[in-house]
Amino acid sequence: MHRRRRTFGWLVTLALFATLLAACGGGGGTGGTGGSTGGGTASTEPIRVGAIFDLTGATADVGTPYARGQIAFIDWKNEQGGINGRRLQLFSEDYAYQVPRAEELYTKFVTQDKVVVFSGWGTGDTEALRPKITEDKIPFISASYSATLANPAETPYNFLVAPTYSDQLIIAMKWAIEDWKAKGNSGLPKFGYLINDSPFGRSPLADGTAFATSQGIETPLEVPSPRGATDLTPQLTQLRDYGANYIFLQNVSSPAALAIRNAKSLGYNVQFVCLNWCANEILIKLAGADAEGVVGAVPFNHESEGGRIALDFAKAKNIDYGGADSTFVQGWTAMSILIAGVEKVVADGKEVTGENIKEALQTMGAIDTKGVTLPVQFSPTDHAGVKSLKMFRVENGKWVPITDFISAR
Amino acid sequence: MQSGTFHTTYASDVSLRPYWPQRIRIIIVLALALIFPWFADRYWLNLANTIAIAAIGAIGLNILVGYTGQISIGHGGFLAVGAYTAGLMAVHLGAPMWITIPVASFFTAAVGAFFGLPSLRLKGLYLAIATLASQEIIIWVLTHGKLLGFGESLSLPRASNNLFGLPMEWLGNNDFAFYWVCLGALILTVIFVSNLFRTRAGRAFVAIRDQDIAAQVIGVDLFRYKLLAFATSSFFAGLAGALTAHYRGIISWERFTIDTSILFLAMIIIGGLGSVSGSIYGAAFMTLLPALLSNLARALSDVVPNINAYLPYMQQGAFGLAIILFLIFEPEGIVKMWRNVKDYFRLWPFSY
Repeated sequence: MHRRRRTFGWLVTLALFATLLAACGGGGGTGGTGGSTGGGTASTEPIRVGAIFDLTGATADVGTPYARGQIAFIDWKNEQGGINGRRLQLFSEDYAYQVPRAEELYTKFVTQDKVVVFSGWGTGDTEALRPKITEDKIPFISASYSATLANPAETPYNFLVAPTYSDQLIIAMKWAIEDWKAKGNSGLPKFGYLINDSPFGRSPLADGTAFATSQGIETPLEVPSPRGATDLTPQLTQLRDYGANYIFLQNVSSPAALAIRNAKSLGYNVQFVCLNWCANEILIKLAGADAEGVVGAVPFNHESEGGRIALDFAKAKNIDYGGADSTFVQGWTAMSILIAGVEKVVADGKEVTGENIKEALQTMGAIDTKGVTLPVQFSPTDHAGVKSLKMFRVENGKWVPITDFISAR
Repeated sequence: MQSGTFHTTYASDVSLRPYWPQRIRIIIVLALALIFPWFADRYWLNLANTIAIAAIGAIGLNILVGYTGQISIGHGGFLAVGAYTAGLMAVHLGAPMWITIPVASFFTAAVGAFFGLPSLRLKGLYLAIATLASQEIIIWVLTHGKLLGFGESLSLPRASNNLFGLPMEWLGNNDFAFYWVCLGALILTVIFVSNLFRTRAGRAFVAIRDQDIAAQVIGVDLFRYKLLAFATSSFFAGLAGALTAHYRGIISWERFTIDTSILFLAMIIIGGLGSVSGSIYGAAFMTLLPALLSNLARALSDVVPNINAYLPYMQQGAFGLAIILFLIFEPEGIVKMWRNVKDYFRLWPFSY
């Protein structure tokens, strides 16, 4: 018996060594490919870009066309000859809107695949990655436009490519006040929020409420819509009892469309105002005729030269993005702004590093998006690149601009 | 000729690891754990730290579910209590982590004991719903953080990451430095919990699990020990939460939703209910599975084009599939599979 146990011990030792060797082999292999990419000035090494997408999680409805747009831009850029002959190589994966998964993928792309810039997605994970981004010096854009990310003193590597959610809400409120007067109503309207129950949903509320109260409007009522809800009638009843004339939707398309349909069947006649993430074609598709008259703050105008380049490319390549033109263009444009910084660094003959790209984005002046947004301008003290947007309205099943560019301040 | 294992002294009878192969195994595992960070890059260190923290939380949950037989789907909430307690102390009091982590653990233990109160009256499904309520209450409080005077997410000052006045940066980068903290916490947890079930309290937990009425008849104070189980379990949840807060540097409640509670339940079911090592295997399995799948998909992407397009759906399915396969083929979890392997070699060639 004693002897047998000793043999067993040896077997265990051997097995453990085998696993150790396997682990080292695996680690060494991936480390090797990563180590060979220094990014010299005249090299033909591809430029490595990292991205996480939500293709299966809570915001997959808009996450998918956004992802398709970003991938399509990289393909398009490579077809145009890349950056000075250097190809762009995209490392991307779905993270299902889960913060821990985002952290894992980010670490993998940055430490193993040596990406130099990164494109993120949600508010929660962008917030969670903040300290790491600063530590790793990775220029980072995200589809989250939280106002907290705009101050380079705190988040030197986060860049905002659209008006902050706070600005979007304030712009939407400005429009609503004008609209209330234009319709010949007296007094002031009442506002309500119907929001995604997450940091994303609540992000603009404090600034929006501050603006509303400064205009003499009663503190808006805040109603979160539960995740995965199939009926929002109770939430809408609450808003109706409060007497909201304008409901600001800070949510993705599917729950927003549900709210609009529920309001119709409830007979609640209210003006819905979508912020960025529900103001798209998916909303129209899901809400059908009920979407008529819904107003949206759309930071990325796909009815523009830049938008047409993206959509034509998608058509030529048969890219399926579920008909969400504006979200596809948004993903495309966001990536193009980030890559503009890389291009500037290459054109200047500098080494492609996060630090240099950050410098370039801050000092290169306005980036032209061919009409999708106003020219994007970052500075060393301000990372909110765009400050204004146009309000759109759904008319005959299409988003149509109804104002010129409005700015929050 | 010896026909079995016989203890000839009391010392050997009560020792935790009586045999040399077992001791050698522990030494080897420890040695591997000590040399691992010198060879691993930050990606693997990040995974290792995630596993270590998850393992502490899973061991905590196993005390309650696996050993005491009280079901809980509120574990994510208790992790959140630990994380936010540590976070708030670091932000508002400027407390360093060697103070915040123990305080957060004890505070979470108290909160856990409070939410364990219904366990006196409730059993099975009813208790599950009561713990679900505790999860929802905790998350509600956190999402309405302005009531308590903090925002949606909490960003911890870097300076709070110091051990007895020694800044963590001295040890190296964040992932490397925290490897030692997480590993240390995990080792202490394992030592404590393995020994717990050789004490009066631990035996009482097991007695309650096996048959609570019989336990009461032989003199186990049900109420006291159930609360104690909730408190101990939450203590480790709090420890895991506080470690998460300091390691990640920023916390939001999104990390601690009901999904997290269910993930932890899945960890201990897959790893092995009522087993300390099983909790660690389960935590490792659930953390590594998505990472392995994505690495595998990338390796296969040359052979099978478009595999990346299907990967998200494969990952979603893989979790469900893993749980179902385990429930069908090895309900006792990875720890039983490991035991089967050991038995096979130990009994070979006569496996009876």
